[in-house]
Amino acid sequence: MISISPKALATGSDTTIEKKLDLTNLTPEQVALDINKLNLFYGKKQALNNITMSIPKGQVTAFIGPSGCGKSTLLRSINRMNDLVDNCHISGEINLHGSNIYDKHVDVAELRRKVGMVFQRPNPFPKTIYENVVYGLRIMGENNRRRLDEAAEQSLRSAALWNEVKDRLHESALGLSGGQQQRLVIARAIAIQPEVLLLDEPTSALDPISTLTIEELINDLKKQFTVVIVTHNMQQAARVSDQTAFMYMGDLIEYSDTNTLFTTPLKKKTEDYITGRYG
Amino acid sequence: MASLISSNRSRGVKNSLAKWLITLGGISVLFTLVLIFLYLLYVVKPIFDSAQIEPKVSISLDLTTNEKVLSTGVDELQEVAYEITETGNIDFYHLKASAPEADNQFTVGDNALSMSLLSNEDFNQEKVVNVVNSFSANKLLHTTKGKTLLIQPSFYAKYANDTREIIPQVNYPLGQSSLIIDEQQTPLSQLAFAMDDERIVFVAFTEDKRLIKTSFIAEDDFSSSSDGDDVEYETIFQQIELTDDVIDEIKVTPDLSLAFIRSASTVYVYSLNDDEEVSLKATITPTLDNSDTYLTSMALLSGSSSVLLGDSSGRVSQWFEVSTESGRQFKEIRTFDANDKNSQASNAITAIYTEQYRKSFYTMTNNGMVNVFYTTSSAHLWQGKLSSAQPEAFAIAPRANGLIIIGNDPLDASNKSLQAFSVHNEHPEVTWQALWQEVWYEGYPEPDYIWQSTSGSDDFEGKFSLVPISFGTIKAALYAMLFAVPVALTAAIYTAYFMTPGMRKKVKPTIEMMEALPTVILGFLAGLWLAPLMEEYLPAIFLLFIFLPLSTLITAFAWHNLPNNWKDKLPETLAPLLLIPVMILAIYAAFSLSGVLELAFFNGDMRQYLTNDLGINFDQRNALVVGIAMGFAVIPTIFSMAEDAIFSVPGHLTSGSLALGATQWQTLVKVVLLTASPGIFSAVMMGLGRAVGETMIVLMATGNTPILDWSIFQGMRTLAANIAVEMPESEVGSSHYRILFLAAFVLFIFTFIFNTAAEFVRQRLREKYSSM
Repeated sequence: MISISPKALATGSDTTIEKKLDLTNLTPEQVALDINKLNLFYGKKQALNNITMSIPKGQVTAFIGPSGCGKSTLLRSINRMNDLVDNCHISGEINLHGSNIYDKHVDVAELRRKVGMVFQRPNPFPKTIYENVVYGLRIMGENNRRRLDEAAEQSLRSAALWNEVKDRLHESALGLSGGQQQRLVIARAIAIQPEVLLLDEPTSALDPISTLTIEELINDLKKQFTVVIVTHNMQQAARVSDQTAFMYMGDLIEYSDTNTLFTTPLKKKTEDYITGRYG
Repeated sequence: MASLISSNRSRGVKNSLAKWLITLGGISVLFTLVLIFLYLLYVVKPIFDSAQIEPKVSISLDLTTNEKVLSTGVDELQEVAYEITETGNIDFYHLKASAPEADNQFTVGDNALSMSLLSNEDFNQEKVVNVVNSFSANKLLHTTKGKTLLIQPSFYAKYANDTREIIPQVNYPLGQSSLIIDEQQTPLSQLAFAMDDERIVFVAFTEDKRLIKTSFIAEDDFSSSSDGDDVEYETIFQQIELTDDVIDEIKVTPDLSLAFIRSASTVYVYSLNDDEEVSLKATITPTLDNSDTYLTSMALLSGSSSVLLGDSSGRVSQWFEVSTESGRQFKEIRTFDANDKNSQASNAITAIYTEQYRKSFYTMTNNGMVNVFYTTSSAHLWQGKLSSAQPEAFAIAPRANGLIIIGNDPLDASNKSLQAFSVHNEHPEVTWQALWQEVWYEGYPEPDYIWQSTSGSDDFEGKFSLVPISFGTIKAALYAMLFAVPVALTAAIYTAYFMTPGMRKKVKPTIEMMEALPTVILGFLAGLWLAPLMEEYLPAIFLLFIFLPLSTLITAFAWHNLPNNWKDKLPETLAPLLLIPVMILAIYAAFSLSGVLELAFFNGDMRQYLTNDLGINFDQRNALVVGIAMGFAVIPTIFSMAEDAIFSVPGHLTSGSLALGATQWQTLVKVVLLTASPGIFSAVMMGLGRAVGETMIVLMATGNTPILDWSIFQGMRTLAANIAVEMPESEVGSSHYRILFLAAFVLFIFTFIFNTAAEFVRQRLREKYSSM
């Protein structure tokens, strides 16, 4: 495993934005996830067709595309949440640190600790704010009160929620507003220090102001984590992401840096989509 | 436009009609509930009413000046009363309020029914000094010269002109001539007697201070002839050794077995069973308040196991025989205070009158105060004055619903009057304390909680403690829950959380269908099949509790470690079916090992071993049988609701937990069960509510023994089963009947409390753990 300090990642990402990464030819150090010929079937129906792409480290990668294009499915494949779906078969590879996550000996729980996920609807557990944040640590067996306190504060600060909830950490998380709940869920996900953070339409259930807060948060998060975000909102993808992948009917149509994709798309379908002709 | 308006109108009508119908439905449900509640209370209420005594009729007596009245009485329907005076006259009076006042004296034809009892020349114008009552209607008249006459005032009904008329008459069971009680024919200062069909026993204290017992033994039968002239009998005279030279009162029990002889401080109990010798059986020495206090009166309580002793300080104590380590002994059981509640003064008890069929008694104190008590329930039912001064004669109506008091006329002090009172005292034996606290019943070694509502004998006293049956309800419910909750909840967790959807679709309705199984069938199977089976293979039942979970775990472990190509041969949906042969095998193994275990550890028979070596009583129909049988009835209820609760935990919570790297098990314990906890809790409480109210299974499988014992090998009686068993045989309006309604009310309260507590906790949990 290669360990890179967050600071190095941050400086690295700052430089890469200017440089514009060559996404087809990344060095192993620059790659967070390497998806290779991934096919996914729900029963007989194929949902992903031969997807091959590399997701760079310390950057925000967005998946866009019309409803049912497979962007969420692809995202869920990355931490094997599709395992929970009956009749779901997968072929191909997704490599994390050069090893296939679909390998037989992979511990799925361990994988999900490294690849965290935030869902479309805020889903805090019916527990206190504090217990929500430290949930991941507790299930890993961490019970040291001081370390849990530290991690909780750290994560809530990172999720830009600390100032709002520090006086009511031991109240129910269900009393928070939707936007706060979503940030709490992000805090919960980053408390276990994952390498990759998957965000599945994280703002689709939120009001514009909360959305803005989350978007600012995503910008901060990429200093520490590799972020993959699925969104149906093209402006959002344009605002927050460094790379954007456009998917259509289970195919990866176009994948390049965000600026290029939105200004000079190579494919007709991409252009149709971003100019609002369908979707 | 017109069509638009009409359509709006019909919609409005439908809308308001629906609103009204729904409101009506809701209100009528509430109304019915309240009605049931009120009806139960209405039936139960009279048992907690205190006694009431109301004056009914007052009749001036036509007596010569200073003629003393010695005895009085009344017929069962309280229509005709009589009094016996010292001149030996008996006068009968109508008690009907409608009769003209002057006309109250009884007439047959035109003649007042007043007759002289001492017409026989034996009596020679002597005055009567005493009239002695027995428990039967017989009275013994006793004159100054020591002559005695046995009479029996009786009543019969005649129906003329479609109206009932009560006709009084006087019988002389032993003829009209004087009876010889003392061999030496000395006048008697104290006299008591009792009789049955074959014998009459007199115990008397003569004026020359001899205590004697005289028995008349009928050749044939005392009741064979109504006028008694033909009855022949043999007389046995016996002298009783005396330990005290002053005797104030004598009582003989109606079964002719004991005589109680009272002096000022001691009661001597003699056994009368032996015709050769009368032996002193026991002495009762009551602890009196201080040296000035002395005994003033004595009475035998109905059933004649208890003796009541009244003293000069206004206290009455109840004594009966109790088994102790040193044999049976008379013990003071409880005391009653007959003094005026509103004053400090103490007044001596002058007389104690007991009811014929119940354990109630009336006391008279020397200030004319009347008190009514019930012994067993220690209830003080009434206190007050019925006449201005000491009455001369006092009688309780045979049905205990009336009183006759003869004393000075309240309007005319020079004259005497007969006053009749009606008494409302239907349920003196029931008090809140008697229902819920230990009560010391006659013949029991100590106070206890007892439910025993009926028996074969007439002088039986109903014992109504709700404690054993309430306890039985809780015990049955708890044992059922002990069995049902683990099974139902683990099944619910497995079905909702781990089972494949296809399998779940089949399993869930199947288990829910079990709920439709009539409980009478479960009870029938439990009582007639399971209970004997368990008795025979007791070790097997306990082995099953180990074997079944163990074999399941071993199978699961083996399956998990099986090579994949083996597993693939069986579709995942069918894999759990593998457990069926395993379980059959486990059951078979348990039953075959049963005999071996019994031989090895329990000397060949576990049941015998429990009873003889461990001293544990074993009922065939016991809590174990009920726990399993009722457990089966409760499992579908708990399973179904808990399964729904677990299954409806939102998927995004489960995903959220799994996405944080939690395993399935961690997710289940830390998120799913927590979120489903309100539902799981209500499932368990619904199960408990069902177990508490369940009737048929407990009726058929508990043995219905109202005992207070947590033992798993003992039966119990529950409130519901008790009502089902006893309601058909209880007399409408009796204490028993009303107490059964009270039991229903208690059951109602039980389920009400369980449901309210469940709902309260569920709401709290839901507030805390509600998912979005």
